[in-house]
Amino acid sequence: MTNSESNGAASTALPIHIQGLTKRYGKLHALDAVDLDIRSGEFLTLLGPSGSGKTTLLMAIAGFNRPDAGSIRFGDEEVILKPPHKRDVGMVFQSYALFPHMSVAGNIAFPLKLRGVSEKECAERVNEALETVQLSGLGERGIDQLSGGQRQRVALARAFVFRPRILLMDEPLSALDKKLRERMQIELKHLHRQLGVTTVYVTHDQREALTMSDRIAVINHGRLAQVDTPEAIYNHPANAFVADFIGESTMVPLSRDASGSLSFAGQRITDKAYEDTAEGWSLVVRPERLFLADTAGVDPEKTAVFDVTVRESVFQGETAFVLVDIGDDTELALRFGTGSAEATGGLKPGDRARVGLLREDAIVIPRERQP
Amino acid sequence: MNRPDAAEGGNRDRNAGMLRAQERREEWGLLSLAAPALLVIVLVILIPVGWLFYLSFIGGDGQFSLEHYRKMVEYKSYARTFATTFEVSILTTGICILLGYPLAYFLALLPPRWAGIFMLAVLLPFWTSLLVRTYAWLVLLQRKGMLNEFAIHIGLWDSPVKLVHNMTGTLIGMAHIMLPFLVLPLYSAMKKIDRDMMHAAANLGASPATAFRQVYLPLSLSGMVAGSLIVFILCLGFYVTPAVLGGGRVIMVSTQITAILENQFDWGAASALGVVLLVATLLVLYIAARFFKFDAALFGKG
Amino acid sequence: MKLHNEYSGGKLAHTIVGAAAAMLVSGVAHADPVTVVSWGGSYGEAQDKALFTDASKNSGIEIIRESGASMSKACLQVQSGAVTWDLVVTGSGGAASAAAEGCLEKIDYSVVDVSDFYPNLYTDYCVGADVFATVMAWNTEKYGEPGTEGAPSTWADFFDVEKFPGTRAYRANNVDGALEPALMADGVPPEQVYEVLSTREGKERAIAKIRELKPHIAVFWESGAMQAQLMKDAEVDMTTGWNGRFDNAKKDGAAVGYTFNQAMLDYDCFAMPKGAPNKDMAMKFLAEVSKPEYQANLPFHITYGPTNKKAYEVTTAPKELIEALPSHPNNVPLMLPINLDWYAEHRAEALELYMELLSE
Repeated sequence: MTNSESNGAASTALPIHIQGLTKRYGKLHALDAVDLDIRSGEFLTLLGPSGSGKTTLLMAIAGFNRPDAGSIRFGDEEVILKPPHKRDVGMVFQSYALFPHMSVAGNIAFPLKLRGVSEKECAERVNEALETVQLSGLGERGIDQLSGGQRQRVALARAFVFRPRILLMDEPLSALDKKLRERMQIELKHLHRQLGVTTVYVTHDQREALTMSDRIAVINHGRLAQVDTPEAIYNHPANAFVADFIGESTMVPLSRDASGSLSFAGQRITDKAYEDTAEGWSLVVRPERLFLADTAGVDPEKTAVFDVTVRESVFQGETAFVLVDIGDDTELALRFGTGSAEATGGLKPGDRARVGLLREDAIVIPRERQP
Repeated sequence: MNRPDAAEGGNRDRNAGMLRAQERREEWGLLSLAAPALLVIVLVILIPVGWLFYLSFIGGDGQFSLEHYRKMVEYKSYARTFATTFEVSILTTGICILLGYPLAYFLALLPPRWAGIFMLAVLLPFWTSLLVRTYAWLVLLQRKGMLNEFAIHIGLWDSPVKLVHNMTGTLIGMAHIMLPFLVLPLYSAMKKIDRDMMHAAANLGASPATAFRQVYLPLSLSGMVAGSLIVFILCLGFYVTPAVLGGGRVIMVSTQITAILENQFDWGAASALGVVLLVATLLVLYIAARFFKFDAALFGKG
Repeated sequence: MKLHNEYSGGKLAHTIVGAAAAMLVSGVAHADPVTVVSWGGSYGEAQDKALFTDASKNSGIEIIRESGASMSKACLQVQSGAVTWDLVVTGSGGAASAAAEGCLEKIDYSVVDVSDFYPNLYTDYCVGADVFATVMAWNTEKYGEPGTEGAPSTWADFFDVEKFPGTRAYRANNVDGALEPALMADGVPPEQVYEVLSTREGKERAIAKIRELKPHIAVFWESGAMQAQLMKDAEVDMTTGWNGRFDNAKKDGAAVGYTFNQAMLDYDCFAMPKGAPNKDMAMKFLAEVSKPEYQANLPFHITYGPTNKKAYEVTTAPKELIEALPSHPNNVPLMLPINLDWYAEHRAEALELYMELLSE
């Protein structure tokens, strides 16, 4: 992932500084004193389950709701009191919110006309925008004549055609089917690089967030759980929520072995030192980080190896999924690429096997009481 | 019952006949659901209207005649009555739009529970009889009515203002009675407008007034047109309210039809008036439809 | 078979037997009841109390009372061949028009005895039920009690807004009794009114007179109830209307008075739709209610006079009440009797002209 701060588009982008942003609905804290700095030109995704506050945060940036307290600055300018139509941010709505009584071109020209752009320039920029979203020649179409994917592109074109300094997107791809969604993810990413505009993207789809973002802000119960790059979020989740929400994982409690190292099922799983705390520590096991120790060359110095019984083995196309029992009724999941036939070792339920985990891959997080 | 051996032989047509029969039965079943409505339409609309049409061309001697239509040209009262009818209907519709649009907008913005309570208030007039509501206005508006007495008491004006037994009173009463017919379709059209529409407009730089004019108004127009047409058409045939509140000065077509029937028992003459009103109404609707389409095209260009 | 409505669907056999029995019985002994249709409110109530209940009891003729009498509905029944009404109350003018349309049966005067009736209060097609007057009434607080110095007394006064400044009410959407006052106000002697009105110029002369007054006509009334209400609420200062309504309004406390001078003497009557289902029995019932002993009771319930002169001889009503009736011999000479022949011939044209004036 590249950081778009480097592509020289900073002149059209603005950083966003959010401090102490609080919004209550009755007793519910939709946003609980959120602090977040969004860098100029970066693609930041607000990721969280429904009701986490991610949309509330986006709406606050757009100016559609009135927070109870806090500060939102675009660059140096405080905008918390500014009405939405003066904030000059582009937005793509989940519903697209295209105006059905206007043509495609009419929709895209709408923000330009409001800004007093001349008839001629307006037409040029609409065509340019249509070209950018690969809809050239569809300007005269009615909105109801467009497919879901085309509407999405029109909504996008309308959001950036007036060259806003900030672009907001509220689950813009959620209405599309899987294939189209995946293609649009790449296109959006490409478009972002092309425009260089600071982009705040809301989704509940962790894969989408991982695919598109420069940074991800994981949000839960109105608080930021972790803000970091996709790799960091995935490889070094700060807490159980992030570990659980991003990617597949099994969480198991760790204990100290005789040497004082953190261990699981009698196997030392990390070489790093972790201080003793009241809660203790948990191991986050990613299925793809486990491998069959029988079939790979195993270095016992670097690998924790467990004896397991196979419970279930499922072929899923590009990957295969194996559920194993590690002895004391603890189940772990493994995922293999099916690129080579022997990768799965032809495992059947009831087979005995050995499963390895490289100690440097072990993800250790503070243990939390399970809700 | 399917015997295995029989199924073996004719797999392609297996049960085809029975399945077709079942499908046909279902279709007839659905059709029969519509039958009562169709029958009612034929019985209470087509036949009476056809009869009306026929009667209007029958003269006093029972022969085909245009005398009823000729009379409408001969006496100016008919043309004036039609003019009054359309004037009252157009003005009432206009007043209803002026009052009803903000009201429907307000209702559409309310949370559903409050909207329900306010809607009840809008619909409340429906629960009392038309006559009662009309006479209530008479009591309020007449020369020594509550409004005049109150206004004189607090010094708003010195001598009674003529609020009823004229066009003013008629329009007040008509607008009150017709308002729900406008508000209901308008409200439902407004409820269908996605809140994101106004957000999007604001986000793209439209001030609230601009967003309303360029987005909300065009999107609620269909409801407004539907409601206005209902109000307008109901007004055309209204009898009681103009009769009571118009003080005999607001003579609608319905008034004249009643006068003809009560005085002359002349069904042919009354029918002719009905036919002309029907044709005039259809003409107005046709023009309105044309105009509206033209409108839609206009808005489509954004 | 109205007689056997009490049989419900559960007892089909009984119903059939009962219905058959009823048919037998009705064919032999009983006639079907006579359907008598009048107006609602105090008018119909007065007729029930004074006429119908006792007449039915004494003659043994069973009646069904319905409200909502209307000559246009009666005509519709006749024209569609589904007549259910036997006797219908109507204004005299309505009866004349309906007769002209061929909607009414001729009255059989060998059955109905009108030898003691006032001569103008029955026709070939209808028998007078009561006499009323279309009078001018005014707010007595504004113009004084009737008969006192300076109070209005002629139609000329009604049309004179300089002598009697104030608002007026006049008849809406119906020409009955609307043109005559205008001509009298314009100086035509009462006995020549209908002669003048028989020409187009005469009608237009009356219309022109009303047109002069129109700016001062605040309300055009639609009904008797409205006349009373207008005076009660003091919505207008002077109006035309039916004397009984003003008496009722006065009883209710309205400051209203009227004069019989130059009033139009008119009557309500019973008419029989052509093809009435129970014609013979209805004719007998009509004969019964036309007897003076019933009409003599009418003034107790409404201040409309009897049509049968003899009723004045047999009535027990007090003298003041009797003298206030429009058909009292003292009052009749003051008034112009409605000319039904004129209405039969000229009403349609007069109505067109009047509607034209109203719609101006």
